[in-house]
Amino acid sequence: MPFVIPKDSYAGKINSLTFGSGDKAVTIGGENGLPFLSFESSIPNRPVVALEIQDVAPSDWPDTVRKVYDGVSSSPAQWAKFCQDSLGAKIVALRLVGTHPDRDDRSADDAVKTVTEVLSAVDVPVMILGSGHIEKDAQVLKAAADAAKGKECILGKAQEENYRTIVTAAIANNHKLIAMSQLDVNLAKQLNILITQMGFNRENIIMDPMSSALGYGIEYTYSVMERIRQAALVQNDPMMQTPLLCDIGPNVWKTKESAAPESELPEWGSLEERGIVWESVTAATMIMAGCNLLVMRHPKAVETVNRLIGELV
Amino acid sequence: MALSGVEIFKHLPKTNCKKCGYPTCLAFAMKLAALQESIEKCPDLSEAAKQFLGAAAEPPIRGIVLGPKGVKVGEETVLFRHEKKFVNQCPIALNIKDTEGTDAIIRHIADVNSSEIDRVGQMLRVDLVCVSNESGDPAKFAAVVKQVAEGAPNAGLILNSSNPASIEAAIAHCAEKKPLVYGANAENLDAMVSIAKGKNVALGIYAKGLDALSDLSEKVKGTGVNDIVLDSGARTAKEMVEDYTMIRRAALKKSFKPFGFPIISFVSRDDSTFEATVAAIGTMKYASIIVVDSIEKWKTLALLTLRQNIYTDPQVPMQVEQKIYKIGDANENSPLLVTTNFSLTYFIVRGEIENSKVPCHLAIMNVEGLSVLTAWAAGKFVAGSIANFIKESGADKLVAKKELIIPGYVSVLSGSLEDKLGDGWKVAVGPREANQLPAFLKGRA
Amino acid sequence: MIIIGERISVIARKVREAMAARDPKPLQELARQQFEKGANYIDLSIGPAEDDGPQLMDWAVKVIQEVVSAPLCLDTTNKAAMIAGLKAHNNQWGRPLINSASGEEERLNNMMPLAGEYNAEIIALTLTEKGIPALAEERCEVAANIMAKAMECGVPMEDIWLDPLILPVPFQQDKCKESIRAIRLFRELNDPPMKTTVGLSNIANGAPKELKGIITRTFLVLLMYEGLYSAIADPNDKEFMDTMKTVDVLMEKRLYAHSYLEM
Repeated sequence: MPFVIPKDSYAGKINSLTFGSGDKAVTIGGENGLPFLSFESSIPNRPVVALEIQDVAPSDWPDTVRKVYDGVSSSPAQWAKFCQDSLGAKIVALRLVGTHPDRDDRSADDAVKTVTEVLSAVDVPVMILGSGHIEKDAQVLKAAADAAKGKECILGKAQEENYRTIVTAAIANNHKLIAMSQLDVNLAKQLNILITQMGFNRENIIMDPMSSALGYGIEYTYSVMERIRQAALVQNDPMMQTPLLCDIGPNVWKTKESAAPESELPEWGSLEERGIVWESVTAATMIMAGCNLLVMRHPKAVETVNRLIGELV
Repeated sequence: MALSGVEIFKHLPKTNCKKCGYPTCLAFAMKLAALQESIEKCPDLSEAAKQFLGAAAEPPIRGIVLGPKGVKVGEETVLFRHEKKFVNQCPIALNIKDTEGTDAIIRHIADVNSSEIDRVGQMLRVDLVCVSNESGDPAKFAAVVKQVAEGAPNAGLILNSSNPASIEAAIAHCAEKKPLVYGANAENLDAMVSIAKGKNVALGIYAKGLDALSDLSEKVKGTGVNDIVLDSGARTAKEMVEDYTMIRRAALKKSFKPFGFPIISFVSRDDSTFEATVAAIGTMKYASIIVVDSIEKWKTLALLTLRQNIYTDPQVPMQVEQKIYKIGDANENSPLLVTTNFSLTYFIVRGEIENSKVPCHLAIMNVEGLSVLTAWAAGKFVAGSIANFIKESGADKLVAKKELIIPGYVSVLSGSLEDKLGDGWKVAVGPREANQLPAFLKGRA
Repeated sequence: MIIIGERISVIARKVREAMAARDPKPLQELARQQFEKGANYIDLSIGPAEDDGPQLMDWAVKVIQEVVSAPLCLDTTNKAAMIAGLKAHNNQWGRPLINSASGEEERLNNMMPLAGEYNAEIIALTLTEKGIPALAEERCEVAANIMAKAMECGVPMEDIWLDPLILPVPFQQDKCKESIRAIRLFRELNDPPMKTTVGLSNIANGAPKELKGIITRTFLVLLMYEGLYSAIADPNDKEFMDTMKTVDVLMEKRLYAHSYLEM
């Protein structure tokens, strides 16, 4: 019985998305098969990692990852430069966590200042992320989008409850948009439909299915992503053909596994490696499910993940 | 069976004799198709029918039991976990080279023996040890195998050598412990098959590339060895994803018998964190056994957790035990919260309480693993049942002030719950989202 | 499910006149409308066109593809016209679809080789010189014959769309189930399953106007349940398209979202 390679054929293709300009431009997506099956599909662009910075010093980050940025993290512009110049970041993701009402409740104007500083400090593309607070994000991201006009940033995240303002700002200022829904493949499709019906070009949408950390629901994100890719590639559903984004820093680095000292839990082994492997394996899982763009924190995890990506393509 | 009930029915006697315990042959055929019955129940099957149905009844991927504790591998039925639960969690094996010194081997054995962790009530560990015949020397190999077999009596063994003489020497020390003999290839096939049949053990076969591997597998099966484990020589992450996908697809979608067997994956990297990510890829994409070079506690914690996550049943939520969990240094003045036993709910709520640095008592109620809103809608997380749970739990002895904090999403229950609790209990409404817990708890202090 | 928009047919007076006068506007209007309503292919039926088939086909293909980015379904029994259409076809949005070969020897020999030569997909009707076979199994025999010819011409099985032919329920009610069964049996003729298509409106031919809609879209549901791959139909019929999308969702071929009918 001779072996015949069982090739699947795919009716659809993932959109290709480019942001940034010149030799700093980054392109994601474009693949026309399920992840890393190059014997039956083409993979024109590999997954890319963005390094996360914040508008306020990360006092709530566990030691393992916070200490990497001690010395630069009290200045977003310095922090951004450090990521670009010393860590080789291809994209810098600025999270305006300080604007959250439960944190420093910084204003939209404060956010604009930070965004402007960071945009001047680096040449690589910049992702602008809200704090995740529904109402505040609508204000903050609108102001940030205006401030970043002309820079073609990635703006996020638009959710079901606040997408209208953010989409309008993204259209007005020509930014790409991250659409996030809560671990539900049907709601993800619906949000993309609503955004597209507002006149936003669906090829400029990036989907965030909502990440979970290893051990804290990662299998839900993994399966939602696999189902999204089935809809995109097998069913050729144009609403599901956006690249996928996984924002794993916040979830990974608030787990007990990333912070509990070995003395407290000797059966968990060394803390330093543990935090890094937690972020690395979470990222590897997302990549295997089709993630095109990751937002991460620890440089060693990023390095490991880039090595893995190099071996996969 | 890949066959439908109707197709199976065509091969049955069609006498409706009821000897199988079913009223009609068609009813029996339906049960066979659903894998809920075995063909032995029909005493009147023709030889031809027995052959045909027997072959069709073979699972698409063979199940193999390894080691003294009976770790099972294989039996997979789908390509994507969202279609159906993955069946047998892929065991991790630590690779020990027979060229390592005795002290190093003693340490490796100790690491394997102390690798067990508890994750959501499941005990997970490094189940297997792979001893590799780096030296090529049968006596050395046998000595190390003996050392490992005695030192780690609960671990299953993989005897890794392409030298039949080495396998012969080593297997004397562990044959009855169901080891996996790995290293059969086109050159040593006859000798290795002879050992596998003689000792009745599973045989791991290696051939570079899928054409060669399928030929080899067919040859081995033809000799009467049925417990085969496949190695296509895939070593890079790309080769692993592609080869294992092709093997699994061929077995499941094309009924390609030569590939209807578990896969062994050797993952070895100079950096342990990097090795963990490649092992993770194998875990997700169809490896049945994963052999790694090191098992630091932080690494196995991550790999075993991932494996557990990927292999959970998408239809059945993971649940934690019903009880009142003490978080931090909780005492009689600490807040008492209640929520459901869906493991994700538990982990997230617990995590946020820990982030708040406010010690609490967290009462976890069994609602069969549903989340708060789902459990409430299903009538499992309602005033009456919560009141009973709290009263029976002895919570009133844990806290000085009888106040119960309920999740914000079920704030409608607060009045009714207070009534049903009686006895001076007060109900306070907590936040809707877990990530608001730190602000909530700190605000009350 | 794939929809082949059927409106550009020489049977319709408006189309006939536009073709005769070489007036592109009515054809372009119909093409655009159908494409916007979700047609995946636009059928172009020029009839026998004995006088000027090739020139007509060449002109019509070009004016239609000027305004819609879609592949065309070239509908004629005139071999020279078919060749002209295949040559004029712009393949960047998909390969052309030959409508059609059949189990009739001459038609099979005329059309099947063109699919091989021009790398086109091809609809094949499972009838012979003796007419439409009564039983689904008999249609399968015709299909097997067509598939053998395809192999001779180097046409892959995946490029053949088998059509069991639909008879109108007002006159041939007893034959309707056979067409449905034929779809299921056709699929089983190969792995991966053979593609299929039907000229759906035939089912309601001869029925009163007010019944055509309910008959057609209910028949569609039964055919889609058996795995129908495509249909030649009118995408402007909203109830028809809504039914098609809903069956897709219920059979898990299309992801649900509250606004799924708007897509």
